[in-house]
Amino acid sequence: MISDETKKRLDELVKRYPEKRSALIPILHDVQAEVGYLSPEAIAWVAAYLTLSPADVMSVASFYDMLHLEPVGKHMIYVCHNLTCSLLGAERLIRHLENRLGIRMGETTPDGLISLKRMECLASCGTAPAIQIDGVFYERVTPQTLDELLEKLRNGRLQGSRT
Amino acid sequence: MPTLKIDGVEVTVPAQTTIIEAAERVGIEIPRYCYHPGLSVVGQCRMCQVEVERMPKLAIACNTPVADGMVVSTRSPKVEKARRAVLEFYLLNHPLDCPICDKGGECPLQDYTLTYGPGESRSVEEKIQRVKHKVLGPHIVFDAERCILCTRCVRFCHEMPKTGELGVFSRGDQSEINLFPGKVLDNAYSGNVIDLCPVGALTSRQYRFQSRPWDLVRHTESVCPLCSNGCNVVLDVRHRQRGEELLRIRPRENQAVNRWWMCDEGRFTFTSLHDPARLRVPTWCENGRRAEMGYDDLLLRAARAIRRVVEAHGPEAVGCIASSRQTNEELFLVRRFFREFLGTPHLDFRVRSVQFQASDASEDGILRRTDKTANTRGARDLDIRPGPGGLDVAGMIAAASEGRMKALFVFEEDLVRAFPDRPLRQALGRLDLLVASSMFSTETTALAHAVLPALGFAEKEGSFTNFQGRVQKIHRALTPHVASQSLPEALRDLAVDLGRDLGGIEPEQVWAAIGERPGAYQGIAWKDIGDLGLLPEES
Amino acid sequence: MAFEKILTRYTNIPNYTGTIDEYIAHGGYQALPKALRELQPADLIETVKRSGLRGRGGAGFPCGVKWGFIPKDSPKAKYLVCNCDESEPGTFKDRMLIEEEPHQLIEGLIISSYAIGCRLAFIYCRGEFVYGAQVLERALREAYGRGFLGRNILGSGFDLDVHVHRGAGAYICGEETGLLESLEGKRGQPRMKPPFPAISGLYRSPTVVNNVETLSNIPHIVLRGAEWFASIGPPKSAGPRLFSVSGHVERPGNYELPMSITLRELIFDHAGGIPNGRRLKAVIPGGSSAPVLTEQHLDVPMDFESLAAAGSMGGSGGVIVMNDTVCMVRVGEIVSRFYHHESCGQCTQCREGTAWLHKVLRRIEHGQGRKEDLDVLLDMCDNMKGKTICVLSDAAAMPIESYLKHFREEFEIHIRGRACPFEGKGAF
Ligand SMILES: Cc1cc2nc3c(=O)[nH]c(=O)nc-3n(C[C@H](O)[C@H](O)[C@H](O)COP(=O)(O)O)c2cc1C
Ligand code: SF4
Ligand code: SF4
Ligand code: SF4
Repeated sequence: MISDETKKRLDELVKRYPEKRSALIPILHDVQAEVGYLSPEAIAWVAAYLTLSPADVMSVASFYDMLHLEPVGKHMIYVCHNLTCSLLGAERLIRHLENRLGIRMGETTPDGLISLKRMECLASCGTAPAIQIDGVFYERVTPQTLDELLEKLRNGRLQGSRT
Repeated sequence: MPTLKIDGVEVTVPAQTTIIEAAERVGIEIPRYCYHPGLSVVGQCRMCQVEVERMPKLAIACNTPVADGMVVSTRSPKVEKARRAVLEFYLLNHPLDCPICDKGGECPLQDYTLTYGPGESRSVEEKIQRVKHKVLGPHIVFDAERCILCTRCVRFCHEMPKTGELGVFSRGDQSEINLFPGKVLDNAYSGNVIDLCPVGALTSRQYRFQSRPWDLVRHTESVCPLCSNGCNVVLDVRHRQRGEELLRIRPRENQAVNRWWMCDEGRFTFTSLHDPARLRVPTWCENGRRAEMGYDDLLLRAARAIRRVVEAHGPEAVGCIASSRQTNEELFLVRRFFREFLGTPHLDFRVRSVQFQASDASEDGILRRTDKTANTRGARDLDIRPGPGGLDVAGMIAAASEGRMKALFVFEEDLVRAFPDRPLRQALGRLDLLVASSMFSTETTALAHAVLPALGFAEKEGSFTNFQGRVQKIHRALTPHVASQSLPEALRDLAVDLGRDLGGIEPEQVWAAIGERPGAYQGIAWKDIGDLGLLPEES
Repeated sequence: MAFEKILTRYTNIPNYTGTIDEYIAHGGYQALPKALRELQPADLIETVKRSGLRGRGGAGFPCGVKWGFIPKDSPKAKYLVCNCDESEPGTFKDRMLIEEEPHQLIEGLIISSYAIGCRLAFIYCRGEFVYGAQVLERALREAYGRGFLGRNILGSGFDLDVHVHRGAGAYICGEETGLLESLEGKRGQPRMKPPFPAISGLYRSPTVVNNVETLSNIPHIVLRGAEWFASIGPPKSAGPRLFSVSGHVERPGNYELPMSITLRELIFDHAGGIPNGRRLKAVIPGGSSAPVLTEQHLDVPMDFESLAAAGSMGGSGGVIVMNDTVCMVRVGEIVSRFYHHESCGQCTQCREGTAWLHKVLRRIEHGQGRKEDLDVLLDMCDNMKGKTICVLSDAAAMPIESYLKHFREEFEIHIRGRACPFEGKGAF
């Protein structure tokens, strides 16, 4: 399930820490990037890799918003809906996205391309409203710039650094 | 040692004691959910908050060490408000189904709510709906709506069996106790989460809906008979018109033996006591025909047969194989009967390799032992072993097959199954008299001339000695079947038929005799054995 | 008002990218050799104590005092962990500091590690800082390349390794013990205190957790002296501070200023005032956990003590400005939704209370409020404060209390009118 290359990277990562369990969250990021989401099999693989119980790893993974225990789209759009972004139009952006993609926040387009997720403050309040697509910030977003971003995303012209 | 005051009561305790423990010493129970003395302290439920003079905030009693001169209040208005609030918060999402909950009547959430809780709910929000009846494993069923997230069950699985099946998934008010998909809660100690769960979220599949806790009329202290650890237990028996029923077995705290726990095998393996297949009436078999027979007739016939054997072949033609399932009292009487009255040296109890000294070991580093009988140590201490020139079990079997042994008594052991590679049928078939006692029909009872029904541990009064040498009492929780006698009664009557007097057979009387004899139990009387047992070397 | 920028000296220089060469060309990495060669660890701790530097992460705890708690004679390893979880709503200064001036932080981190005897340090970045973490990784490689990290740094005999560790989306991992749990590969559930991290922190060893901005000040204190630093701003709130100003202002952004600055100066002089001729209605001065202030507080200086005296707090330095179209009930709904989502769930009052607060506020905002709700809310807040493992529970309760204190009438209008009076008209 996990490529040798990734495994080699993880072997290196583990060495950074006095206790190898510390590498758990970075490993989950990496495995998620490779598998697409943290499937039970992926969790079990990580548990075996770190000699933890699968329930323990699942319990950790389920704590964090960026770790997905259910399948998600190829691209992930996070929209900040916290106070400053809301003051400056986040809900309008959300409605716009939902209309454009025909899905609600928290859902994935039927073609499996895009998932939408509401997020809490992304530390972009000075340039609100802000979103993240595949780990990259886009700021002072308007419905127009959003359309452009979606277009680029569909054409594979948007550079992501999804990890 | 620091001295402090709790609700005006002065108490002196060792440094590092926590307030909750110190309060316990003076009989003040501080309400708690997540705290359990057998588990790590997490301080999450916030129920045990107390007010400590000169501390700006309320302190959690489970994690605050005592200090000299400390003044603690567990009942100040501030404490009461905080406690009421915690209960109000719990009840926001707790179903109001106490009347149909297995925990009803013995539920700390219900109890504390009645004592300390808010009168009525101020919430009009909808309760969160969660999974109601999820089977977690062979013994446990889970109701997520009732769970108050104290994490006792999770910590138990991590810390005791170290199997870690359970986890808290998600966070905040989405948090839920669960298993990893496809896993089951089936560690050897899983049943303890039922006792630990302070609400009716984790319940026994066996016990579920069988009874209301207030139906239970009797709780009898006893000891688990299923291995040599001798975990202390309570037997909960319901009394109804159609009879008594053992509903559940729970561990009883004994720090020297089982702390607060017991294993699932000991907890859940008791249905055999109520099995309709149990032998209830003695039977006698002659010329291949087996018939029920009253004790008087049967014992007379047995006595006649014994007398014939002894007159023709001497006492060496009689042997007895006792069992480490028997109580100390039974074993003592057996020894007296065979060694002293009949005068045979052939007495033994060791039918399993594990019973030869030192091979009884911990099975898992926790509680379970490899000797699956309760009283090997007692049998050894009471010298249930061959006398001078006596045969051990294998020797007795050999002697029977060679025709040297003519009469054999086998108590609570299925010899045929215990020695599958020996010609047991042939050997036992040659005997003039085979007497076997047993709870169920076995291949051995099938060969016996006389079969006596044996009582289960819950029907006996007496004691076992666990592997440590601790003598522990078992008490009768269930009345034996009317047609069944205890082994001491049968032995006493058999002795009478042979013109001997076995003496008193009640535990006090037997111990008076045991205590007189040199050996491990010299000087010990029945009343010396307390609720938590007695370790002879400590007395 | 002329104020010499310190932390953001170069970030506004056109084309400044914060590489190691640029940083050094502008005088960076001069404090490091000075600290390693001229100062003993104890001197450094003393210097930082005298400087009056207080933590910029939220609690404002004196930095040198915290360092001083690290046991000197403990045989255990000591750890320094930089808190770059920056998740307090309204705060975005740490992200700027790591993305634009990473070496200032790294230099501060090395000196601080030396001061407390740490040989392995971590920078815990919130999971969403993918880019920021990459910038830091690159900067660390540069620093290793120059011998500022690794074995025998600058010939001093001092060794140090630093790793960037990314979280995965959980506000509570900003709380220092939640952070340590997360760094140990666990759920980010805060720990009971005591013991404090200085005694038993990462891997149960003595640990200091410091905010990005706090550590970024260290090179300057070493170079220019404690007295210089202490002379900036009010005596008890010394040194520069980055204020993240957002919301209804002309020029949102990070402003580096002394804490003697008033809210009025910050909002109107620096951030350009309220756009579109609207009036100021409310301002949150220190991240969403801080109680709200109003026009009447505009002349309060932004130091820790003055803000506390005004009934709020300096917190994380995140200043959220709201104009008169803002519905305070909706603000309460959004803020309580945040804490509801972010409570780790260990403590009963916080797990259940944050959810209840959110549900009641949402109900009121949607016209379903009841008369008795407001008093229930206040009592609920009281029941949530000062009773839990960490202060997230307090942070959820305090703002709501303050909205009710300053804007109770607005809540009552929602309840009486069975609707939000701003519906379709306001900022949201
Ligand atoms: C709920 C909560 C969230 C916090 N989030 C952060 C954060 O994102 N960044 C931070 O530096 N400190 C945060 N803190 C404060 C830290 O617990 C800690 O006080 C700080 O990192 C210490 O560093 P300093 O002394 O340099 O400020 C938070 C505290 C709480 C209670
Ligand atoms: S199931 Fe019971 S023991 Fe487990 S966390 Fe819930 S309430 Fe506690
Ligand atoms: S460990 Fe042994 S004595 Fe204890 S409950 Fe299990 S079987 Fe019974
Ligand atoms: S106060 Fe809230 S966030 Fe903090 S530890 Fe308790 S439940 Fe977790």
